[in-house]
Amino acid sequence: MSDTAPRPRRTALPYVLLVPAIAALLVALGYPLLRQVVLSFQDFGLAQQFGRPPEWIGLDNYRELVTDPYLWRVTLRSLVFCLVNAVATMAVGVGLALLMRHMARSVRILLQTGLLLAWAMPVVASLTVWEWLFDTQYGVINYLLTQMGFDFEGHSWLLRPLSFFFVATVIVVWMSVPFVAFTVYAALTQVPEDLLEAAEIDGASAWSRLRHIILPSVRPVLLVVGLLQIIWDLRVFSQIYILQKAGGSTHDTNLLGTYIYRLGIGGGEFGMAAAVAMFMLVLTVVLTSPYVRAMLKQEGEA
Amino acid sequence: MKKTLAGAALAALALTALSACGSDSSDGDNGSSGDSTPQAADIRVWLNGTDTPQDARDWLKKTFEEQNPGSTLTIEQQEWDGLVEKLTTALSSESETPDVVEIGNTQAPTFTGAGAFSDMTDQLGDLGGDDLLQGFVDGATVDGKTYAVPYYAGSKYIFYRKDLFKAAGIDAVPTTMDEFVDDAIKLKQANPKPANFSGFWFPGQDWRNGAAFIWDAGGDLATDDGGEWSGSLESDESIAGLETAQKLFTEASGAPKDGNEADPWTPWCAGEVGMMSTPGWVTGLINDPKSGCPDTLGKQIGVFAMPGSDGSPAPVLLGGSDIAIASKSQHQELAQKAVALMLSDDYQTILAQNGLTPAKNSLASLLGDDEYAQATIAAASNAKLTPAAPGWANVEGSRVLEDLFSAIAQGGDVSELAAKADEQMDSQLNG
Repeated sequence: MSDTAPRPRRTALPYVLLVPAIAALLVALGYPLLRQVVLSFQDFGLAQQFGRPPEWIGLDNYRELVTDPYLWRVTLRSLVFCLVNAVATMAVGVGLALLMRHMARSVRILLQTGLLLAWAMPVVASLTVWEWLFDTQYGVINYLLTQMGFDFEGHSWLLRPLSFFFVATVIVVWMSVPFVAFTVYAALTQVPEDLLEAAEIDGASAWSRLRHIILPSVRPVLLVVGLLQIIWDLRVFSQIYILQKAGGSTHDTNLLGTYIYRLGIGGGEFGMAAAVAMFMLVLTVVLTSPYVRAMLKQEGEA
Repeated sequence: MKKTLAGAALAALALTALSACGSDSSDGDNGSSGDSTPQAADIRVWLNGTDTPQDARDWLKKTFEEQNPGSTLTIEQQEWDGLVEKLTTALSSESETPDVVEIGNTQAPTFTGAGAFSDMTDQLGDLGGDDLLQGFVDGATVDGKTYAVPYYAGSKYIFYRKDLFKAAGIDAVPTTMDEFVDDAIKLKQANPKPANFSGFWFPGQDWRNGAAFIWDAGGDLATDDGGEWSGSLESDESIAGLETAQKLFTEASGAPKDGNEADPWTPWCAGEVGMMSTPGWVTGLINDPKSGCPDTLGKQIGVFAMPGSDGSPAPVLLGGSDIAIASKSQHQELAQKAVALMLSDDYQTILAQNGLTPAKNSLASLLGDDEYAQATIAAASNAKLTPAAPGWANVEGSRVLEDLFSAIAQGGDVSELAAKADEQMDSQLNG
């Protein structure tokens, strides 16, 4: 803002303009959240879903949860899965974005089209294709590996939890990379060319140009995208849910998202599911708070 | 630019974090559908899987729309897989609920107790009364009120490859459980190729077929101890049954150890199956030029009811479906008319001609007396229901038994796994 700009008059207009946004937030977020908090203190089952009044049970749902070792196992599993996926997605996405800067136009457009298609594909449709690719009996992947001389005939990719999560990671990363690549690439186009040129003339290596010029100037974008990845990968649901139906052990592969679903919609224990969801909300806030703080700090510096 | 980015990120954080947790459940205020002038409307009927033949669907739509001018009937096909979850959400919403739903006979009790279905006790007489399959009516009755009526029954029986039996030197179909297991292993050994060939096709998640081995050995999935249900997979009898299942999994089956039993016609037509236990209507799909192989392996189908240890048919799972009306449906009267049509002799005859056991005892003869009809009738003669525990659908919803059988198929320790599954079921069975 320049000093010569006229001082804006105080009017009610800005507040009026805020009303629709706040109303939308209240309806779309406030109400479900309130409902969830209420549910988590109730014994709310299938019968309550159809009109029987629920019973207030205070902290019983939470008490039962924290004493259940299974919740902690699922939580740990979700955290590891989330971090591995977020890091892998960021690495591949940023790598592709950097690569795009040096590509011939035609190659870049080809790559971008591919990324866009992967991004635009509906989740369930693409999961069905992935499921077929990794199918134990008729899957293309087993076929190709067997053709190449490995013994993969009838190999079940989903049988062991680790292998299950490997497949899930491939799919999740595949689906999220386009967003990271495009966003970071867009930010990279804003990096001042002349600065890079000057650094090159001064003898800065490619690595130090990346470290000291490129990355710092896209840092805000990296922070935001990284934050989103962590949130998305912590709440991952469809990929796990659909793979569980295709094979593998449900008990050993549940993440927080599918666990809440199995408790609530699958098992009719809505109160308990709401309590786990509250737990997950707190976990998300804790996990992302360093990021948010870094972003706010940056804003303060700017 | 930085400022807006950080702001956008915070907003995005709030949005995504919260929507992650929105276990949506609509408000539970009672939908009062009081005023009932039978107004013309579109009735939505949910049928599951491909069980109901196209002829029956066409007849239902046409007849309903003729008899109720102005109204229409739309059949929406659902997947059996994940049905309980889907009904849980759909039935509780006044605006989203289908009017008439088909539900597996073992899944019905969970919803009848919860008030999800309309009381049909008054209409029972008109719909067939004592002629209806009694076991199904009982299963859908709570405190003297009936909330669902039988749609069709059909227990699984064994399909076998006639040519492979001959080639392996098996002259007659097995008549006891021991012979059945031996023949399955013999078939597997006689057909080393393809590697995933099954003497008995038994995918790891298939607990519905697996239950037959538990029951045949004298065990049970769960037992009722004075109103308190608990898992009983740890009993000696159940363990013996699970061990038979494990033997079949490891020595006779080439199906995926963690796979499910969907689409059995695919491996059948690929020549990978010697025997399999499936519903009778699967013949239709094997002999369908689009999905199956009518000219080749379709010609080699033979059928018999799975034999039990004592020589009579094994106690297989009594399969079948119920029909119910959603209590939140706004068109109760029209829905009742649709149900009446689905239980009419005309409609049930079409089902019977397609190998489904009709909902009325008096129509059973329509099944005919060929090999298939005999196997259908024999399989049903000793069939059993899943435990009538109030929380049984929760057990199915959390996939405890899929996990158990899949772990057994992988060669796990049977007693240990059974104990673990019992523990999980104990917390769910009592609703």
